[in-house]
Amino acid sequence: MSNSRASNSVRQRGGVSQWALAWRRFKKNKAAISGLLIVGFIAFLAAFDRLLAPYPPNCIIGFSFQCPGSYSTNQPPSLAHPFGIDKNGEDVYSQVIYGARAAFLVGFGATAIAMVISVLIGLAAGYYGRLVDNLLMRLTEVFLVLPFLLILLVFLRVLYTFNSTATGGLGIVILIIGALSWPGNARIIRSEVLHIRDYEFIQASKQLGATGTRLLFRHILPNVLHVMIVLTTLQIAASILIEAGVSFLGFGDPNAATWGRELALGSESVNQAWWVGAFPGIFLTFLVMGFNLLGNGLRDALDPRLRE
Amino acid sequence: MIRRALYLIPVFFGITLLVFSIERLAGDPVRLLTALNPNISDAQRQLLREYFGLDKPVYAQYLTWLGELFTGNLGNAYAIGGGISVSTLLLDRSQYTLEIQLLGLTISMLIAVPIGVLSAKRRYSKLDLVVSNTALVGTSIPIFFLGIVFILVFGYNLGLFPPGLAQSTLPSQYPFGSAVLDRLWHLTLPTAVYTFAILAPVVLLVRSSMLEVLRQDYILAAKVSGLKDRTVTYKHGLRNALLPVITYVGLYFGGLLAGAPITETVFNWPGVGALFVQATNKLDFPVIQGIVVAITLMTLVANILTDVSYAYIDPRIRLE
Repeated sequence: MSNSRASNSVRQRGGVSQWALAWRRFKKNKAAISGLLIVGFIAFLAAFDRLLAPYPPNCIIGFSFQCPGSYSTNQPPSLAHPFGIDKNGEDVYSQVIYGARAAFLVGFGATAIAMVISVLIGLAAGYYGRLVDNLLMRLTEVFLVLPFLLILLVFLRVLYTFNSTATGGLGIVILIIGALSWPGNARIIRSEVLHIRDYEFIQASKQLGATGTRLLFRHILPNVLHVMIVLTTLQIAASILIEAGVSFLGFGDPNAATWGRELALGSESVNQAWWVGAFPGIFLTFLVMGFNLLGNGLRDALDPRLRE
Repeated sequence: MIRRALYLIPVFFGITLLVFSIERLAGDPVRLLTALNPNISDAQRQLLREYFGLDKPVYAQYLTWLGELFTGNLGNAYAIGGGISVSTLLLDRSQYTLEIQLLGLTISMLIAVPIGVLSAKRRYSKLDLVVSNTALVGTSIPIFFLGIVFILVFGYNLGLFPPGLAQSTLPSQYPFGSAVLDRLWHLTLPTAVYTFAILAPVVLLVRSSMLEVLRQDYILAAKVSGLKDRTVTYKHGLRNALLPVITYVGLYFGGLLAGAPITETVFNWPGVGALFVQATNKLDFPVIQGIVVAITLMTLVANILTDVSYAYIDPRIRLE
């Protein structure tokens, strides 16, 4: 409480907070701003998907009253279907719009899980050191060496065998991607914590009788926040790519309209219908690039060591 | 360094345990395998269990499996190839995977290092801007999307390369009647896609690492002592800048191998990755476990090789 009051009063005296400084640096970075715009645009598509898409998700045109029209497959783009029709007879434009929502759900969901685990492990290993550090880092190494995608595929296939209707669908995919993608970030956070642990203000706080949890969450965590923000942004991009790969291989949620699923259809009919793979592929590339640009921009803006 | 290698032993055992327990967590493999077959009786299921050694206690199964692992015997497949030996299957398929991986890795390093160095030397020039922006886009393109684009453009539209598979079906289709040329012809597209996928991050890494090194005092010292620009850049600069690049390649080699299912599925390439997808779809656990263990072992070996080459490049580490 006292901390935030102090920073408020500094701001009132005409000083500039660290965040404002970072925002100033961020604004000057054209690549970072374009990343933000790309992510913003696709977020808009995801937020208003029901309004923007003319058909419901995974709906074969002409097969139900919700998707009126005549059934046809692999039709090139036209006025009625701006991105064409795929092999199943679904409107590619609608599928791409719903894919945006799925991509954001996966990106944010899996990253939230991964970051919580990596922050807890990174903080504990870096702060407590010795035996705790040793055990946690060996565990991290096991997960780091583990062929991530392979384990992910096995888990999903086993789950679908038990649960043939795939209830929980995308949630399960999100959970497993999140639970497996923490080790790299945990290592980085640990090494940051190792730096900060030796600063004098930590020693001072310890002498004043601060408890371990207070030191960790009140003093150390805010100082690794800038690293966490950058890692989170890049992890979102990575999670979206992984889910797309998993869906592409046919291991994704069979009921969800995802870009990976649409790309798989595009791959099957690549010589008859280029549009089926091209549009979801372009959107996927742009969204991942947007998050990568954003992450790089944030790193330049937030990391004081890179300041010129 | 030996200490580091020793650390990897518990890591390896941890992974074997994990891989083994995934199968057990999945429940009774026989029940999974026969779930879709209504005609099978419980007595037949029991026979199958005995046949696969699944009637013994779990720890005994793990120890048997581990013991067999060290003799190179990975067991027999449940379903693939009519119950073929997994070791034979893996040896047969791994050549296809290694062809793409090693070729792609070598070519991409040969291209990425000079580009990264040049880009760093002419920082903020037009070339540097083009290189770093292209590389950034390159890191964002999913490998399977790039694969589809290549297949469409070079495979179907231009008809230059075959859109999939590792060999033509009929020997009469071989270019100049040579099986080797035919394989190379089939290798071109998957290798190109794979090269591109590694190229982008390595270029960015070489560039940033080179920028860091060129700022050091010893580079300035080398320059003012009158050494040629080339010598300073390549002998003093690059040698030091390569350290993080080697770490990256070493650490991610396993990751690259694990990405094989996607690349190989796109190109219908009969390697270990495509085999893995097939085995997972059939829940053929001996094959799944064999592939995971083999890839993990290769990752660990790559890690150790990384440490060794570190010592070779950086004398400070060698002396410690």
